[in-house]
Amino acid sequence: MNTLMRWIGIAVVIFIAAPLVIVVPMSFSTAASLQFPPPGYSWGYYQQFFSDPSWLRPAWNSIYIATMNTLLTMALVVPATFALVRHKFWGKSFANLMMMMPMAVPHIVMAVGYYSYFGELRLVHSKLGVILAHSCLSVPITFLVLSANLKGFDLTLERAARSLGATPSQVFRHITLPILKPGLAISALFAFIQSFDETVVAIFISGRNAETLPRKMFDSIREEADPVIAVISTLLFAIVFVGLLAPSLIKLVRRMTGSPQPK
Amino acid sequence: MSAYLRLAGVNKTFGSFTALGHIDLEVEKGEFVTFLGPSGSGKTTTLMVIAGFEQATKGEITVADQSLAHLAPQERNIGIVFQNYALFPHKTAAENVYFPLQMRKVGKKEGMKKAEEMLELVGLSGFAHRLPKELSGGQQQRVALARALVFEPDLLLLDEPLGALDKNLREQMQIEIKRIQKRLGVTTIFVTHDQTEAMSMSDRIVVFSNGAIEQAAAPLDIYHRPATRFVADFIGESNLLEATILDADAATAHSPVLGEVTCGAEGLPPLTNGQAVTLLIRPEHLKLSREPKEGRMNAQMVIETIVNYGDNAVVIGHAGKQQIRVRVPGADVVILQEGDTCHFSWTADAVFVLDK
Repeated sequence: MNTLMRWIGIAVVIFIAAPLVIVVPMSFSTAASLQFPPPGYSWGYYQQFFSDPSWLRPAWNSIYIATMNTLLTMALVVPATFALVRHKFWGKSFANLMMMMPMAVPHIVMAVGYYSYFGELRLVHSKLGVILAHSCLSVPITFLVLSANLKGFDLTLERAARSLGATPSQVFRHITLPILKPGLAISALFAFIQSFDETVVAIFISGRNAETLPRKMFDSIREEADPVIAVISTLLFAIVFVGLLAPSLIKLVRRMTGSPQPK
Repeated sequence: MSAYLRLAGVNKTFGSFTALGHIDLEVEKGEFVTFLGPSGSGKTTTLMVIAGFEQATKGEITVADQSLAHLAPQERNIGIVFQNYALFPHKTAAENVYFPLQMRKVGKKEGMKKAEEMLELVGLSGFAHRLPKELSGGQQQRVALARALVFEPDLLLLDEPLGALDKNLREQMQIEIKRIQKRLGVTTIFVTHDQTEAMSMSDRIVVFSNGAIEQAAAPLDIYHRPATRFVADFIGESNLLEATILDADAATAHSPVLGEVTCGAEGLPPLTNGQAVTLLIRPEHLKLSREPKEGRMNAQMVIETIVNYGDNAVVIGHAGKQQIRVRVPGADVVILQEGDTCHFSWTADAVFVLDK
């Protein structure tokens, strides 16, 4: 039984990980289109990606939009989360529902909605439009991560700080914020990834002016199956992988070199 | 002498629920006062009102004749040790203790030096640079105490600070807190539901019940001369017996269980003939014997249970429908058996009288 479960587990892992692993060798391919296994290996498509403006421009668009989206989302969600977790008010459960709504509604429905609604406001084909739409989509996940953190926050700490002479804003700066920092960082990271990765809404409203990387990749794979896509996938994969592993790596290095934990 | 901390007619309601009825209390400078009572009796609410985390609905609180009414918690200069210590997890022990000084604009160098001196006073000199999670419960407790004292507060409030510690550590910390409090002479209010803690540490105990003060007096006064039946029952073990006063001048009463009793304890309240009262006799003031004892008042009971503690034992029996508890030396208990009928006896000075 135990062995059987183990084999099933391994099979599942392979099935899930295969697409991730397959793009890596394809990105070094010498073939003219996506092909596995590659006939030969070179850095050619990496060079192409980093020198071709038609790829670099959407890459910068994506980074810009994701960054702005993260700032806007955090500016909205942080105060909202404090209000929803810490205070009781009329209509609170409705507000909670609305925060989670973008997660429940299919993206394609949202995309059609934005397409017609932003058309009226002249926000289609603009970066601002994509940023606004992405912020809406980023709210639920950011809120979930942050509220879980805030619910676990011991309010006695703030009382203690008050009794020790701190004003409410000093309490926030010296106690609440530093303690919540990891949670804030993770929720900001989720907001960034959500925007960077988002394709459906981007296809509908980003247009030529605000073309994002996922949209460009989608257009490219439809038209020519350019192996540059594999390059981008590999780079994204590497960035996320390093991002997720960084904290444990830092810890490991500290333990090995025996230097003290940061204060 | 005028009181240092004064609560005058403090009342606190939450909607239709009255958390504090009408609290009047005066505390002298340097006094160690314990708020004792069951949970929900209002002791912690009173503490939170003094600290400024709850607003009194009515009444006034003054420290050194200055009203606290318009002061926010951070302006009150009151040190608090919370039940769960509430140490800042991202700061080291020394940084935790430095925090109140930092808020008072004391420079880092001078403040950290003072923080480390304070840690030394509470016996934690080698632990200044540890994070709270790297300290044991007792050590965290000491850091919390140092942090609440380092800025020389007008008042020190301790909210059931020893609840989470095991018995040995708790006793050690009781002695330690008392030592530091005496050394610094800080006016202290200690909240607990543990009566032995209250008895051993306090200059004065304030007993709370249902949002009101039942009695405020020195520990031994509370024990020997409780003001109410609640206090007599809550503090220590007690035998409480219904009785009627026969002769107020001679202090004699009739009890259905004990017969005619002379009440001779010190500090009896004023009595009137025919008054319905409750007699209090502490279990350690009763003696057990096979035959009635000469020179003492006697009654009979049937032994039901014997609870042995080693150095002493509590014998629980029945006299009619009345339960009687007798505390006897451990060596005496071997001759007793459950189901035996025996005599219990007492002297007049062991009998205290409470209002019905």
